[in-house]
Amino acid sequence: MNDGIRARIIMLRVLALSLLVTLGARLWVLQILDNDRYRRVAETNRVREVVTSSPRGMILDDQGEALVRNRSSLVISVNRSTTDRQADRGRAAFAQLSSVIGMPVDEIEKKIRFCSATVAQPCWNGSPYQPVPVAQDVAPAQALAIIEHPERFPGITADLQAVREYPFGSLAAHELGYLAPVSQEELDRQAAARKDGESGPDKFHLNSLVGVAGLESVYDEQLRGVDGVEGLEVDRFGRVSGTASDTPPVPGNHLVLHLDRGVQAAAEQALQGVLDKLPGGPHARTASAVVLDAKNGGVIALASLPSYDPSVFTGGISQEDYKALSDPANGIPLLSRAYQGTGAAASTFKVVSTAVAMTWLGAKPKQNFDCAPTLQIGGQTFHNFDGSSAGPITLHQALVISCDVIFDKFAYDEWLRDGGLRNGRGPYAEPAEHFVKMAEAMGFGSRTGIDLPGEAPGAVVGREKARAIWEELKESYCRRAANGYPEEKDPVKAKRYQQYASEACVDGYLYNAGAAAQFSIGQGQYLSVSPLQLAVAYASIANGGTVLQPQLAKAVVAPDGTVVKRFEPVVKGKLPVPGDVLGYIREALHGVTSEPGGTASGVFADWPKDIIPIAGKTGTAEVEGREDTSWFASFGPVSDPRYVVVVTIPDSGTGATYAAPAAKQIYQAIFGVGRPAEMPGGLPPGDLPQVGSDGQIDVLPSAALGPAAVGPAQSAPTSPDAAGAAPPDGRLARPAVLTARPGVPAGGASAAGTLSGGPRAPPAGLAG
Amino acid sequence: MDDLGSAALRSSPVAPRGRIGQLRERASGRHSPLRRLDWVLTGAVLALAVLGALLVWSATRTRLADVGGDPNSFLKRHLLNLVIGLVLATAAMLLDYRLLRAYAPFVYLGSLLGLVAVLVVGTTINGAHSWIVLPAGFQLQPSEFAKVALIVGVAMILGEKRDGRNGVRAARPGDLDVVVVLALALVPIVLIMLQPDFGTVMVLVFVILGMLAVGGAPRRWVLGLLLGGVLLGTAILQFHLLKPYQEARLTSFVSSDASTNSTTSYNVDQAKTAIANGGLAGRGLLHGQQTQGQFVPEQQTDFVFTVAGEELGFLGAGGILLALGIVLWRALSIATASDDTFGALIGTGVVCWFAFQAFVNIGMTLGIMPVTGLPLPFVSYGGSSMFANMLAVGLLQNVRLRSRTDPYAL
Repeated sequence: MNDGIRARIIMLRVLALSLLVTLGARLWVLQILDNDRYRRVAETNRVREVVTSSPRGMILDDQGEALVRNRSSLVISVNRSTTDRQADRGRAAFAQLSSVIGMPVDEIEKKIRFCSATVAQPCWNGSPYQPVPVAQDVAPAQALAIIEHPERFPGITADLQAVREYPFGSLAAHELGYLAPVSQEELDRQAAARKDGESGPDKFHLNSLVGVAGLESVYDEQLRGVDGVEGLEVDRFGRVSGTASDTPPVPGNHLVLHLDRGVQAAAEQALQGVLDKLPGGPHARTASAVVLDAKNGGVIALASLPSYDPSVFTGGISQEDYKALSDPANGIPLLSRAYQGTGAAASTFKVVSTAVAMTWLGAKPKQNFDCAPTLQIGGQTFHNFDGSSAGPITLHQALVISCDVIFDKFAYDEWLRDGGLRNGRGPYAEPAEHFVKMAEAMGFGSRTGIDLPGEAPGAVVGREKARAIWEELKESYCRRAANGYPEEKDPVKAKRYQQYASEACVDGYLYNAGAAAQFSIGQGQYLSVSPLQLAVAYASIANGGTVLQPQLAKAVVAPDGTVVKRFEPVVKGKLPVPGDVLGYIREALHGVTSEPGGTASGVFADWPKDIIPIAGKTGTAEVEGREDTSWFASFGPVSDPRYVVVVTIPDSGTGATYAAPAAKQIYQAIFGVGRPAEMPGGLPPGDLPQVGSDGQIDVLPSAALGPAAVGPAQSAPTSPDAAGAAPPDGRLARPAVLTARPGVPAGGASAAGTLSGGPRAPPAGLAG
Repeated sequence: MDDLGSAALRSSPVAPRGRIGQLRERASGRHSPLRRLDWVLTGAVLALAVLGALLVWSATRTRLADVGGDPNSFLKRHLLNLVIGLVLATAAMLLDYRLLRAYAPFVYLGSLLGLVAVLVVGTTINGAHSWIVLPAGFQLQPSEFAKVALIVGVAMILGEKRDGRNGVRAARPGDLDVVVVLALALVPIVLIMLQPDFGTVMVLVFVILGMLAVGGAPRRWVLGLLLGGVLLGTAILQFHLLKPYQEARLTSFVSSDASTNSTTSYNVDQAKTAIANGGLAGRGLLHGQQTQGQFVPEQQTDFVFTVAGEELGFLGAGGILLALGIVLWRALSIATASDDTFGALIGTGVVCWFAFQAFVNIGMTLGIMPVTGLPLPFVSYGGSSMFANMLAVGLLQNVRLRSRTDPYAL
C-alpha cells in the first residue's frame, strides 16, 4: 500500500475529528451555556397550570353590612382534557348534558371550542386544562343529576363558584365599582415583570377578574387574594401524569368602609325625591350628595344620580348597555357628580371669603358693612341675589341672609391692591391674592385624595395661572375671533361668543375684575369646585381647622377576622384661620338655619334645633342656558360637629328650595328625626364589625344600635314630603316611630339636649 | 498468504502439548485471533450498543406502558438485535476479507436484489418505502445492507488497480475505473431514491466521494463530483424539485425560529430543548422531562441522542461523541495498517459512512443539520441498521486480523 493513501487517510482522520469537535462544541453551547433558558422551556412544556380563583373579599359598610359580596352560583363545566380523550370526543356526554340543562349540543360545543383569530364568541379563551363553564346558575336538581351520575357525564362537573353580587343594586355604585376580565396589557406587563426577575405567585391569570372601577379597582390588591394554582404534569398529548405543585387559593381580605348603607340609601332617596319633583322630571338631570365624618374624613355617603346597577358588568357588559351608561342623554350614569363633576359653588363659598376678610383683611366680628343692592365694578353692575338691600350688617348677617355685594367689595378691593388689571406687568409688589390662597388652603383647586379613581381637581385660578391658561388658549381665542362660531345655531349666541373670543384674544391675560369679585361669592371663570371638595372645606371649618383627606376605606380585615390594616385619618393641612374666626363662621352658619331671615331657616323650621343644631349655607349658582344649580353645604350638630352634608342639584333652582330639603332628609336619617336613625346614637360605629373566622360577618347587634331619634312630636311636625321620603326598608326591624325606651325619662328632651357622649355611649333616645 | 492457524502454529515459541493445549494456544497465544482483535474498537462499539439499549429503553418505556404493552419490549428486541449483530460481525470477521474480492459482485448484486424487492413488496414507514416486513414482527431495511455492499464493491474496483493483481502493474485508478465506480453506485442510489430515502443516498454519495478521494482517483473527478454535488443540491432547492415536506426538513435547521409552526421545526425545537435541559450531568436516566413526556418524536431511532443529552447530560452525550471518535480513530488506524489497498478502502468507506451518518444524526438533534431519517450508528434502535453496522465492524476486524502491521504501532 502506498504512502499517498496513508496521507489521505490522515486527512480523513482530521476531517472526522473536526466533525466530532463541531458536535461537541455545539453540545457545550446548548447544554452548558443555554441550559437555563431551555430548562424553563422544558418546564413550561411539561407543567400545565390549572387556576382556582381565590374568593374575592367583600366590601362592608361601617356596620358590617355587605355592599358587595359573593354569591354562590351552580356552574356546570366541561373539562376538555377529559372529554377530548374519549373515543367520541365527549359527544355522548354532551348529549346527556343537553338533556339535563336543555342546552343544544351544538351550543355546548360552541362554548367549549377554543377562541382564535377565526373563532369568535361563544368560545373559550382560557387554558385548555381549565374546565370551561357552559351553564351558570343552574338549578340544584340539574347539578345533582350530574354529580350523582359521574359515569354518565365523564369530564363534566357541577360545582359552586363565586359570582360578585350587589345586594343593594345601584346603591353606591360609583364608589363600589365593578370587575372586568384582566386586560391583555396587564397580562403582558406581568409577563415582562416576570422576565425581569420578579418572583412570587402570579397576580393575574387568563380570565382573571380585576377591579377596574371604584373601590374594586383601588383596593384590588387587598380584595383579590391569591389564586390557587395546580401544576399538572402532562405529556406531549396533554395527558395528565401527576401533580407537580399545588398551591391552594388564598381568599381575599374584606374591606370595611366608613360608608354607611343606611345614610347612603337615605341620601340617594332624598336626591331622587328632589329630581322626581322637578319640572320635566329627572330625565338626564343629575344630583349629588356628600356626607363626611368631620372628625376623621371618613366618607359616610357619596351619592350621585343617575346611577346604575354594577351587576350589568358581571359576566361582561354588552356594548349597548355600556353606551347607555355613558350617554349624556341619560345623564352619563357612569360618572359620579359627587367627585367627578365640578361647577360654581355659589354662596356656599362665602365661608372662604368670610375667613379671608376676618383673617387677613381686618374685618371685625361686630363691624358693619354695607349690603348695598348693587356694586359697580369696571363697566359692570353687580347685584345682590334678588337685588335687595339690607343696609349695614355684620359678616354674620351677611352669611345668614347671603348678601353678595359685601363679599364682592372685599374681593374687588383686594384686586385693586394686587395691581388691578396689571397682571404681572411692571415692577409691582407680589400680589397678595388672599382669596385664591384661602381657597387653596381649604383644598379647592386640587384633588382631595379620596380613595377613588378619576377624581376631578376643580380649578382655582390666580393671576399667574390666568396668564398661563391664556398663553395656552390665545391661539384658539384669536382663531375664533377671526372665524366666529359657525357651528353654533343661535346667531345671537354665536355673535356673543365671537365677541368674547376677540376680547380674550387681545387682553385675556388680564386678571378680570368682575371675575375676581365673583370668585368671592363662588361664581365666575376663576373657580370650579366639586361637591366633595366643598364638603372637605366645610369639614375643616367644622372641626376647627384641619383639612382632612376624605377616605372611604376604614380597615382591611382578613377572612378570619384579624384586622390587617386600619386606615388612619390623613391630615392634608391646617387652615390659616384663627379658631375664633372659625367659631364665628360656625355660629353664622348656624344662623342660616335657625335665625329669622336665614336662607335655610324655612327649610329647618320644623327641625329640632335645640337638640341637633345644624349649620349650613345655601348656594344658588347661575348657569347659562339652564336652571340654577342648587347647593347646600352644612354640618351638625353645631356644638360638636360630626357630620358634613353637601348636596348639589344642577338645573333645578335655589339652594333653599331643592338642596337644603334634601340635606335635611339626610340629617333625619343620620339622627333619626321622624324615622329610625341610621347612625346609632347619632355617631358612627367606633368599632369595626366583627368578622368571624368562618368569614361570616356579624352585623352590629341591634341592641347596640339604640336609635337616637327625635320624634316628630318634639318639634314642629315634619313636612309630609320629608316623612314620605323615609325609607320603608329601615335597617333591621327597627320601629318606624320611636317610643320611649326603658330607662329614658319621659319628656327628657331637655335632659338629652346634646347628642355627644362618645362612641358606644348610651344613646340619647328621646320620646314624647 | 497462510491461513491464520498455520501462522499461529509456526510462530509459536513453545511446542504445543496435546490437542487441548493447541486449542488454548490458538485462542490465547500472541498470534491468536482473539489477541489480535482490536479490543479498543470492540469496547467502544459495545459501549455504544449497551448505552443505546438503555436509551432506547428509557425512550420507549413510558409510551409502551401507555398503550398497555410490555414496557421492556423495545429493550429486549434491541438486545436481540445486538446479539444477532455480534454473530454477524463474527461471521464477517472469520472469512478472509481478501476472498471477498471474489464474492464482491455477488454481494453487490444481492444488495440490488434487496433494493428492488423493497420497491415491490416493501412497506412505507414515515414516508419512505424502505422496509420489507418479515414474519415474527421483524423488518428488513435493504438500503442499510446496500451501504456495506457498495463499500465492498467500490473497494474492490479501486483496490484492484492499486494492488496490481494478476501480474498487472500497480497503478492509480484511471478515468475508466471512476466511471465504473460511479455506474456501480448509481444503480443503488437510483433504487434508494425511488423509496425515497435521501438520508441514505447522501451517505452513499459521501462514502463514494471519500473512497474515490482516498483511493487516489484523478483529482479532477473528485473536485468535479464535489462541485457537481453542490450545484445539484442548490438546483434542487432553487427549483423546488423536492416535495414541500422534504424541503422543509432540509431547510428548517437554517431558520428554525422563523417557521416555528411546522412539524419539522417543532421536532427540532423539542429535540434541542431536551438536550439543553440535560445540562452538565443530566436529569438522570428515566427522569428526563422531555423524554418521559414524549415530547421528542422518533426518540428511540433518529432522535435517540436527545435521550442521552437530557438524561445523561453533557457527560453522557459527550461520552457518545468520544466513543464514536474512538471507533472512527481505530477504523482509520486499521485502514492505514492494512496490507492492501482493498482493506484500506474498506476501512475508509466504513469511516466515511459512520462519520457522516453520526454527524448528520447528532447535528440534526442539535439543530445544525437538516432533519433526515438517519439512525445513529450502534445507538439507535433498528435491526437492519444494527446488523449493517456490525457487519462493517466485522469487516474492520477482518482487515485488522490479516494485517502484518500492528495498527497500535502506527
